[in-house]
Amino acid sequence: MTNQPHILVIDDEPQILRALRTILSEKGFEVTVANRGEEGLALAAANPPDIIILDLGLPDMDGIEVCARLREWTQTPIIVLSVRDTERDKVAALDKGADDYLTKPFGIEELLARVRVALRHSTRARGAQTSLVKAGPLTIDLAWHHVTRSGEDVKLTATEFKLLAYLAANRGRVLTHKSILIHVWDPADADHTEYLRVYMRQLRKKLEADPNHPQYILTEPGIGYRFLADEDTE
Amino acid sequence: MEEKIGVICRKFASFAFINTAGVIIISMRASPLVFILRYFLVISLIAATTAFLFFVLRGALNTPLVALLFLLPVGLTTALWGLGPGIVSAVSAFLSFNYFFIQPYYTFQVRHTSDVFVLLVFLFVAVVISQLVGRAQAGLAAATAREREATQLYELSTALAGLQDDEAIARAIAEQIQVVSQAEYIEIEIYALPTLKVDLPINTSAPEQKPEFVIALQSARGQLGEIRIWRIGNSVSQAEKRLLQTFASQGALALEHAQLAQVESRAKLLEDSDQLKSAILSSVSHELRTPLATIKASISSLRSGEVNWESSARTDLLAAVDDETDRLNILVGNLLDMSRIEAGALKPQRQWNLLAEIIDGVLARMQHLTEQHRIETDVPDDLPLLPVDYVQMEQVFTNLISNSVKYAPLGSLIRISVRVRDEEAVLVKVSNQGPQVPPEHIERIFDKFYRVTAADRVTGTGLGLSICKGIIQAHGGEIWAENLPDGFAFNFTLPRSWDGAPPPQLPVDPETT
Repeated sequence: MTNQPHILVIDDEPQILRALRTILSEKGFEVTVANRGEEGLALAAANPPDIIILDLGLPDMDGIEVCARLREWTQTPIIVLSVRDTERDKVAALDKGADDYLTKPFGIEELLARVRVALRHSTRARGAQTSLVKAGPLTIDLAWHHVTRSGEDVKLTATEFKLLAYLAANRGRVLTHKSILIHVWDPADADHTEYLRVYMRQLRKKLEADPNHPQYILTEPGIGYRFLADEDTE
Repeated sequence: MEEKIGVICRKFASFAFINTAGVIIISMRASPLVFILRYFLVISLIAATTAFLFFVLRGALNTPLVALLFLLPVGLTTALWGLGPGIVSAVSAFLSFNYFFIQPYYTFQVRHTSDVFVLLVFLFVAVVISQLVGRAQAGLAAATAREREATQLYELSTALAGLQDDEAIARAIAEQIQVVSQAEYIEIEIYALPTLKVDLPINTSAPEQKPEFVIALQSARGQLGEIRIWRIGNSVSQAEKRLLQTFASQGALALEHAQLAQVESRAKLLEDSDQLKSAILSSVSHELRTPLATIKASISSLRSGEVNWESSARTDLLAAVDDETDRLNILVGNLLDMSRIEAGALKPQRQWNLLAEIIDGVLARMQHLTEQHRIETDVPDDLPLLPVDYVQMEQVFTNLISNSVKYAPLGSLIRISVRVRDEEAVLVKVSNQGPQVPPEHIERIFDKFYRVTAADRVTGTGLGLSICKGIIQAHGGEIWAENLPDGFAFNFTLPRSWDGAPPPQLPVDPETT
């Protein structure tokens, strides 16, 4: 094993594979590629990667199914690639355990940022947790349920804090509506996206400099929300 | 002598027979009752004349004068009723004259040679008179009949003029035939339309027996249909047959004309849709090639090594490639959306959403595009949640704003405002200070590929606004454009309720720090 992070790319488009292999190798990753779902699953089992980049449109099986089968035995971060206008597929993949998604065509900086977030998150999951999350003027103390903005206390309701804490704990990652609703409210409320719309607006008013142009609590249209902490924007 | 007269009578009979063709034209016009009555009147008239001459003037007149007086009823009947009654009156007058006024009286025998001569002259003159008058009558009747035929044909062609619909044509033919033939029942079948059967009178079923008369609707390209006529009693005369045939051929012509017109309009439709397809193809290929051209030019110049690796030109070229790939991506997305709208597959994934969040998201993403305009939003803080598809509504705002940016002058104001219109709907207005749209275009700007300005002057697929329309309509709203005193605005409405349900209540949130 080398020290280079190992990325498995499962995609059936030769051009995408060629580009990703070139760019990711250049950026210091070890890259393995698979053209088909079964091949990808076999490679992931034979030589466990640090990150899996998975296309949803595969010739032999649905990418969502690949995702589900990977999650049966590994927590390796999965970044889903898909073409535009398939929000349902993206949400399905995320709910099946994918960590993030990217819409084709995508910029390489975006992909690298997602890869970094995913790597950090898997490291965090294994190692010690920090209870302090910083995002611009915001400091969120997850252990002490305390939020400050430019050093001043921010008063949040119980639900608001629970919501912010879940976002901050998963900083950098996209969280689907359903997963937020289940974690912050109740599995029975999984379809009540209106809670999110209202509470996110309240949170933004309390935390963002300009609630109409949020810097930290970002909307992922049709998918969910993403919290951007300092470590993700570096 | 008796024998002689018998010969004359036989000759007379055959002479009358020769003329029957002419008689029928006239007589057939009359009903059987009138026909019988007419001959009865002829006989009566001769009988009355005989009685008058016999009882009143007998002895006062000599034989030739009686003969002359007998010519009066003959001429009269011929003038009134034509050749047939004329001949009958001539013969009966001749017989009556012979019987009552020629010696020996009360026999058909003739004693004096001079009387034979008078009788022969009488018969000759009577027949000639009835011939002449009858011919004139027949000619007049034929002329009247021809005139009537011409009028009826004119009426038919007027009724058929401009009709393009097979059923309307069949109905017009049936009505005209009804007027002409006094038929009890008429049925017209057109083979091209098996379900179409025009009946007159309407809503009665055809008589059980066979129709009296069937005419084919014959065109140059074959039989188009059939007219069936039921008429109880009267048989159909030659002249009527001829007239009905003419009607049928007029009808067939009209049907053929209508069918040709239909074929032509179908061909026109195909041609139009072909033109639309080529318009789409040329628009799309133009829009696809423009960014591709930029990308190709930028990349090839970068690869050629002619551009200094550190120069600002390199950065510019790379930025151009980046922008153009985004443009291509939007174009493909628009085409995809359009095809979904056309296929009716654009079903909104509704959720209760805040319009403000959608608008803010769009504006944040479009920042680089709108930075040369001033953007103002006016969304009430207490605007209720709306049941909309987040992603589709983003698309609507994106398209309306990018359209505004495209046409409004640099530095001008683009304003997005939302108002609760009433209990039913909210009203969204995206206004700009761009040029007004001529009223004749304003309804059509939401049609796909419709452009007010020439296609090469403004970039875009011509799909953006029609996608907006498709999305808003799928949401149960309306979209329209209007000219403002100082610009132009897009308006649309969105329903406030979702399947009749109002926005949900939020659970109570316990206060804490």
